[in-house]
Amino acid sequence: MRDWQELVRQRLDGLALDSTEREAVYDELAAHLEEAYENLLVEGLPEKEAVQRTLTQIADWHDLQRQIFLARRGGQPMQKRIQQLWIPGFLTLTLSMMFLIALQKHGFQPRIVFWSGPGTILFYVPWLMSLPLFGALGAYLSSRAGGARGTVLLASIFPVLALTAAFLLMFPIGLIIKRIIGRQVDFSMVATAILRDGIGWILVPGAALLVGGLLVNLLFSRRSSSQDTAIG
Amino acid sequence: MIGPGIKRGTAELAVLSVLEDGPLHGYELARRIERQTKGALRFTLAALYPMLYRMEQRRWIRGSWETGSNGRRRRCYRLTAEGKKKLSPIRQEWAELFHALRQLGKVANA
Repeated sequence: MRDWQELVRQRLDGLALDSTEREAVYDELAAHLEEAYENLLVEGLPEKEAVQRTLTQIADWHDLQRQIFLARRGGQPMQKRIQQLWIPGFLTLTLSMMFLIALQKHGFQPRIVFWSGPGTILFYVPWLMSLPLFGALGAYLSSRAGGARGTVLLASIFPVLALTAAFLLMFPIGLIIKRIIGRQVDFSMVATAILRDGIGWILVPGAALLVGGLLVNLLFSRRSSSQDTAIG
Repeated sequence: MIGPGIKRGTAELAVLSVLEDGPLHGYELARRIERQTKGALRFTLAALYPMLYRMEQRRWIRGSWETGSNGRRRRCYRLTAEGKKKLSPIRQEWAELFHALRQLGKVANA
């Protein structure tokens, strides 16, 4: 006799509904699986095959969890977007920036990389090393709120998206100000600055954040597949 | 290839139509649809329940726990007044679509 209730409970343990509602979903899905399994046994299938056939009803438990969450919450698209992207994203941005400020206040010096062009690239190594954690946090929160894979990854790299937006605004505004005050604009220097800051503040931190986001994704998908193996 | 919008539309129509005959729990609902459509429409658990919950949120159907003759508790779904009201225009839309497709077929074969 299979414990379908326990199986459903394990695989949908991240279902972010209140406990009564969540238990009702577990009961209902477990009853469905149990009935499907028993009917396959009645049809004459061996137990192992009946279990496998029953489990083919759910190709991706993580996706099912997300679909159920979205269906039960029935929120407006904007509300979903806020829960899945904006809140995890802004939290990741705030925490990562607070950590950077704290490092600077405590006197951590950036690692300075010189290159052939003018200026240098600054790398705050402890900050960069912490970014996978912040990226993972953003991805986890987004995932818990039912975010799709793309949204989860966007939430994890949200801090660099915000920095990109800031740079995109900052450079044209800087150029306009220089024009107004009559200073000569050296476009090659501007291009170098964009490249330099793009590497130091966007590309490298973005990669570090993405590592955390991808790890969370991998963890969720691995947990689903290992549980599939355990029951089969 | 049938797009997700059309698939969802047919699935919802199928659920509402079957529930029009009386309340059913999820597993029996899926079996009934499969039997009545001679296997053309099949619902896995992963496809069925998110749709039922969505339809419940829209108040087209209502689920309630009931204990069967074998002592098992099952969540049974029944059509609401709003669902009944919705069924007629959906049927009309699909009838029009099929009519249009048949017309296209006739033109193509002419």
